[in-house]
Amino acid sequence: MNKKGVILGIISITIIGILAASFSMPSEDISVATRSHGTIDTTMGSPILGDPLAPITIVEFGDYQCHQCYNWFHNTKPSITENYIDTGKVNLVFVDLAFLGRDSPKAAQATYCAEDQGMYWEFHNHLYTLQESQIDNGWANTERLKAFAFGMGLDMELFEDCLDSGKYSKRVQFNSSQAKEHGIRGTPGFFIIDSDEQKQISGAQPFSVFKQILDSMI
Amino acid sequence: MLRTITLVFSNFKYLLFSSIFFSLMFIGMLILSEYIFLEPYVVSHIPSGSEFGFLLILIISVLSSLVIPMNIFRINILKSSKQKMGGGLFGSIIGAAAGACSCGPIGFAVISTFGSVGATATAFLTNYETPIRIVAIIILIITYFTTVKSLKIECKLNS
Repeated sequence: MNKKGVILGIISITIIGILAASFSMPSEDISVATRSHGTIDTTMGSPILGDPLAPITIVEFGDYQCHQCYNWFHNTKPSITENYIDTGKVNLVFVDLAFLGRDSPKAAQATYCAEDQGMYWEFHNHLYTLQESQIDNGWANTERLKAFAFGMGLDMELFEDCLDSGKYSKRVQFNSSQAKEHGIRGTPGFFIIDSDEQKQISGAQPFSVFKQILDSMI
Repeated sequence: MLRTITLVFSNFKYLLFSSIFFSLMFIGMLILSEYIFLEPYVVSHIPSGSEFGFLLILIISVLSSLVIPMNIFRINILKSSKQKMGGGLFGSIIGAAAGACSCGPIGFAVISTFGSVGATATAFLTNYETPIRIVAIIILIITYFTTVKSLKIECKLNS
């Protein structure tokens, strides 16, 4: 009788222990919210610039060391922002195609480290404002990226931990794979997407081209 | 000098070849350097800050379309050596290669195919685009003057 009681007690404790452990352990099946625009998986891309409910999305594939991306950022994007993004007609997502040099992936990762502190677009704009014409000349190396973050007032402990650990290296790789899957052959490359269609634009084309396409879709 | 040019280009065949060569080279380099886009619409524009690059492309195209037909004339008509032709072609090729921005489709294809070696090569062509184009212009100018000089001698032209 005593033996049975002991055995039953052990079994009961074991079952309770297993149940308690299973409830207290974090689930491995963490569901990640996915986001896509047209056929492009933008889950790992930038936050949405502009109204998330805008009927048209521009997906830009770019590299922070690309001079033509710099040209587009300074010559075309301001007009698009003023006429379409700020008015709620269009939003924009930036997806990395970091292929130009050894500093390109690190620069892309740094933008997501800045995103952790709510400063993605500020860091993105900072990189395209301070871009130097030479690839891999050190303007976007790890030390300079940290200096940019410091200058922007980011929490340096968080930022350095993030950048040095390579926290977002897979995110950047995933984005580059999206670019290749969609036939992007250079940067900047764009898809303009609404509910019915997606149109591709290659290169740092002038505002007139974007206007023509956007107006035809609105 | 003018008589040498007149001698070569008075032949319609060389004038036509020069015009076609200029058009193809100029438009090709403008496409590679993203001054002209063909899709989704044919559009051309010179972004602010890129005017000097455009000027260098124009000079390279003009010089190439002068030097190469003149050397073909030397080889065809005078049966001269092909050495100077090599100088003209070399100048044209490095001038054109410098414009193939590494961001663009050619740069991307090279980097995708050749990996880090391709990336280093395209980064070099991009980083030193302007100096490379200036070197190409110098090579073409030297080739032009040596070609004019040899044509004067070979054709016994009086300056």
